[in-house]
Amino acid sequence: MLKVATTLRLISKQGNQVRCLATAVGYKQALVNVPPTRLSVLDNGIRVATEDSGAATATVGLWIDAGSRYENSKNNGVAHFLEHMAFKGTSKRSQTDLELLVENMGAHLNAYTSREQTVFYAKCLANDVSAAVEILADIIQNSSLAEPEIERERGVILREMQDVESNLQEVVFDHLHATAFQGTPLGQTILGPTKNIKKISKADLQNYIKTHYQPARIVLAGAGGVEHEKLVELANKNFSGLKNTVTDVELPHCRYTGSEIRVRDDSMPLAHVAIAVEGAGWTDADNIPLMVANTLIGAWDRSQGGGMNNASFLARAASAGNLCHSFQSFNTCYKDTGLWGIYFVAEPLQLDDMVHNIQSEWMKLCTSVTDSEVLRAKNLLKTNMLLQLDGTTPVCEDIGRQMLCYNRRIPVHELDARIEAVTVQNVRDVCYKYLYDRCPVVAAVGPTEGLTDYSRIRAGMYWLRV
Amino acid sequence: MSHVTDMKYLFNRLFSMKNGFNAHKYAVRSYSKDIGKSAPIVNRGKVTPLPPLSEPMPDLPPVVYSTSKSEDVVTEVTVLSNGLRVASEKKFGQFCTAGVVIDSGPRYEVAYPNGICHFLEKLSFGATHKYATRDVMLKELERHGGICDCQGSRDTTVYATSADSKGLEAVTQVLAEVTLRPQLSEEEIESARQAVAFELETLSMRPEQETILMDMIHGAAYKKNTLGLPKICPIENVHKINRNIILNYLKNHYTPDRMVVAAVGVDHEPFVEFVQKYFVDMKPTWHTPDSSTFTPAVDKSIAQYTGGMEQEDCEIPLYPGSDLPELSHVVIGLESCSHGDPDFVATCVLNMMMGGGGSFSAGGPGKGMYTRLYTNVLNRYHWMFNATAYNHAYGDTGLFCVHAASPPARIYDTTIVIARELGNMIGKVGEMELRRAKTQLQSMLLMNLEARPVVFEDVGRQVLATGKRKPPSFFINEIEKITADDITRVARRMLSTRPAVAARGKLANLPSFEEIQSNMTLNNDAPQGRRLNLFRA
Repeated sequence: MLKVATTLRLISKQGNQVRCLATAVGYKQALVNVPPTRLSVLDNGIRVATEDSGAATATVGLWIDAGSRYENSKNNGVAHFLEHMAFKGTSKRSQTDLELLVENMGAHLNAYTSREQTVFYAKCLANDVSAAVEILADIIQNSSLAEPEIERERGVILREMQDVESNLQEVVFDHLHATAFQGTPLGQTILGPTKNIKKISKADLQNYIKTHYQPARIVLAGAGGVEHEKLVELANKNFSGLKNTVTDVELPHCRYTGSEIRVRDDSMPLAHVAIAVEGAGWTDADNIPLMVANTLIGAWDRSQGGGMNNASFLARAASAGNLCHSFQSFNTCYKDTGLWGIYFVAEPLQLDDMVHNIQSEWMKLCTSVTDSEVLRAKNLLKTNMLLQLDGTTPVCEDIGRQMLCYNRRIPVHELDARIEAVTVQNVRDVCYKYLYDRCPVVAAVGPTEGLTDYSRIRAGMYWLRV
Repeated sequence: MSHVTDMKYLFNRLFSMKNGFNAHKYAVRSYSKDIGKSAPIVNRGKVTPLPPLSEPMPDLPPVVYSTSKSEDVVTEVTVLSNGLRVASEKKFGQFCTAGVVIDSGPRYEVAYPNGICHFLEKLSFGATHKYATRDVMLKELERHGGICDCQGSRDTTVYATSADSKGLEAVTQVLAEVTLRPQLSEEEIESARQAVAFELETLSMRPEQETILMDMIHGAAYKKNTLGLPKICPIENVHKINRNIILNYLKNHYTPDRMVVAAVGVDHEPFVEFVQKYFVDMKPTWHTPDSSTFTPAVDKSIAQYTGGMEQEDCEIPLYPGSDLPELSHVVIGLESCSHGDPDFVATCVLNMMMGGGGSFSAGGPGKGMYTRLYTNVLNRYHWMFNATAYNHAYGDTGLFCVHAASPPARIYDTTIVIARELGNMIGKVGEMELRRAKTQLQSMLLMNLEARPVVFEDVGRQVLATGKRKPPSFFINEIEKITADDITRVARRMLSTRPAVAARGKLANLPSFEEIQSNMTLNNDAPQGRRLNLFRA
C-alpha cells in the first residue's frame, strides 16, 4: 500500500488530492507505519519475538518471568542478587574478558529486576547480534557465581539499599506494597531485607536459577536490525540446552488489604504520600479505561508553573491553591492484581486539602466526568504510549514486557482502537468498579501528622449523593 | 455512621465474601432506602465490553504493516524563494519530529546585553499572532499528540516538536508562529525574567557544575568574546533585557537565510508546501514595508582562541542524601577544530579514546570502562570523583576539554594528573584502544540516531552548516579510516595551543597556570606515564 501511495504522489503534483486518496484507502485498511512483530516458539518453550526495522543497531534481551514475587520470606532478595552477579563472569569467560568483549563491540549490557520480571539486555550494532545473544545465553546459563564475588556484591547491595532509602518515592512505594499486599510475596521488597542479603549463599542463587530460569518462562526479544529467522536460529543454537525441569511454579494469589502505614518524621520538610486502590491485573480489559482515568488525574510539579490549560483539573487546583509540590498518578499492574492511585509530595499543612481535592476528583471520575475531558485524556494517552516507542531499546522493552504480560504483542492499531473504544460511561463504570466505596491503601513518610485520618479517607471514597 | 449501619455493612461484607469474589462484592449502600428511593444499580462485574488484553480485539480492519528497510533514508532539501532551506527525511513510526534550526545563540550577542538567547529559550512556544496565549497553542499541539521544546547551544537555537504525522500542517504552522510571529508581550517577558532569575538561583544551589563550568571554560578559551560569551544570562542583565532589545535581535538573526526547517518521518512535498505557506507567504512580526532594503547586522567575527584561566573560589553545594564529600572542579581545554575540518573525525576518535566518566556509575559493561581516563586516571587515583573528556565543535573552531572533580585538598594533584594525561595524548596509541574507540564511536553515532529527535537535529544542523546532510554511513567510513598517526597528529596540533583552564570550588590548592602548562608539554624522549608514580598512594 505504501508503494501505491508513493507512486500516486509522484504522478500528481497536487498534495491535497493525494491525501484524499490516502484517507480513502485508510477507510478500509489501516496502514500501520511500523514493522510487524513476529513470534516463534522453540521446542523447549522459549518465545522469540522481533520487530525488524532494518536499522543499523539493535537491542536484544531476555525477559524472564521471575522476580521478587516468586520469592518467600527466607530467600527474598535472591532475584535481585542474581542481577548483580550477572556480569561477574561465567564458566567460559572472566569478568574482564566479558567487559572487554562488550566494550570492544561498542555494545552495552544492562539488567534489572522488578517484582514480576527479570531482564537482561544488550544494545549493539546489527552485525553483532549473534555475539550479543551468545553473551546473554552465557550469563544466564553459566554464571560462575564465585564465592569472593558473592561476598563483594553483598556489600554493594547493602550500599544500594542506602541509596534506595534516600529516594523517598521508592521508600513510599515499598511501604505501599508492604501494606496493600501484607502477608503475601508482593508485599516484599525487591532488594530483600538486610538479614537475607547477609546470608544468601551460592546454593540459594543456583537453586533460584534452576527453578525459575525455565525456558517456558523466557522470552528472547529483539528490535532494530534483527532478522526474525536469524534470531530464532541463534536462540536454537544458544538455548537448546535449557530444559523445563519444573513444570508448574506455584503462583499464589496475592490478597489486597485496604490499610495504611505512616512513618512519621517531623524533621523532614515535606511529606511523601501514596494513596491507592486495588487495580486490575495485566490482561484485564479494564486497564485501558483505568489508564484513561489515570491520564485524567495526570501529573504535575511546581516547575511546570500555572498550567491553567493542563488537562488535569487536579493540576490546575494544585497550582492555584498551592496544594502540593508535585503529584503523579500511577497504575501499577501485576499478574492478577494491581495498584491504581496517586503519589504526592506536600508541605505538612497542605496534606488535608490535597487529599480532599484528590478524593473529590476521584469521585468525579466515578460519577460526572465529561465527554470532552475523556476525549482529551484519550488523545494524551495515545501520545504518551506511542511517543515513547522511539529507538530500538524502548521497542524491545515493550515487546519483552508485553510477551510476558499478554503472551503476545498488542499491535499499534489495536491499542489505538482499544483507547478509541473508551467512552465516558466506560470510564465512569470502571472507576465505580475499582474506586467507589473501596478501601484504599495509604503509605506516608515524613511530617504526616496533618494527613487525613484513615477513616476519613475511607469515608471520602463514596458520596452520600449522586 | 451509626452502629446499626456499621453492622449491616459488616454483614454485607461477610456475606458477599462467602459468595466468592466475582459476585458483586459489596451491596450498594442503601441509606436512602427508608425514603423509598432505590439506589442506582452498580456494575461491579464486567464493565469494559472487550476481550482481555491477551486476546486480539475482534472486527479490527485488516492492516498492512510497513516492511521497507532503511533504503529510503534520503534527506531531501529544497531552497525556497527567500533563501529558507527545507529538509526532510522519512522514518518508521506514527510520529514525526519537525522543527526549526537557527544560526543564533549567545556567540552573536556581543552588540546586545548578553543573555538574550537565555530569555528566548524561556519565551519559546509562547503567545503568537495566531494563538492568543500559550495555552491555546499547546491545546492545538495536544490535538495532534504533540510535544514541544526549545534548546540552544552557543551558536544554534533549535525549536522542535514531535507529533502525530497526520498533524503535520498544524505543527508547521505552530513552528512558524513561534519563530516568526511571537507576541512577546510585557507579561510574558516579565515571567521569562522571573524564570531566568529562578534558574540562576537554582543553578547556584545545585551540586551539578557542568553548565557553569562550560561557560567558564569557553570564557577562558575565547577571552569572553564570540563563543566565550556566556549561555547563562549574567545577573546584571536580567533586568536590562526588554522587548525592544529582543525584537531587534530577532529581526537581525531570525532571517530566512539563517534558518533551516527540518522534519523526520514526513513526506517532502507536502512539508515544503506547508513551510512555503506559513514561513514565506506569511510575514514575521518584525516585517515592515521597507524590509526589502533592510540588511541584518550580524556579528560575523571568527572566534579567536586565546586560552587563559578563569576561576571562582566558592562553596559547591553537596549532593543531598549522599555521602559524597564537597568537591572542587577543574576543566582543562585545548583548541581542537571546527566540524568542517579534515581533522574533525580524528578528534572525535581521540575524545572517545580518552572517554572517562564518574567514579560511581550504574549499569553493566559498555560504559567505556577501558578508556584512558578510567584506566590511567580514575582507577589509579581513588580520590578523583570524575574525569570526563568532551569535544565541542563549532563552525570555525572547536574546544577539547577534560573535566575533573575531587575534594579540595586533592585539587592540585587532580589538575596535574589531568594536565599530564592530556600531554600524553601525543604518545603512543595502542592498536587495541584505537580499534575500540573507533568501534565505540561508530556504535554511539548509530545508537544516537535511533531516536527521531536526534535525527532531526542532525539533519537540521548539517543542512544549516553545509546545505546538505552527509549520511551516517559517510561518517562510519571516515571513522574507519582513522590511524594512530592521525590521532597523534591532532593531539600534537591541539597541544601546540595555549591551554584554557576553568576552576570552581575551594581553590586554595590549585596549581598556577604556568605549572599546568608546563605539565602538558612533555618531553617526548622521557618514558611517559612513569612520572605519575609520584602520586601513587
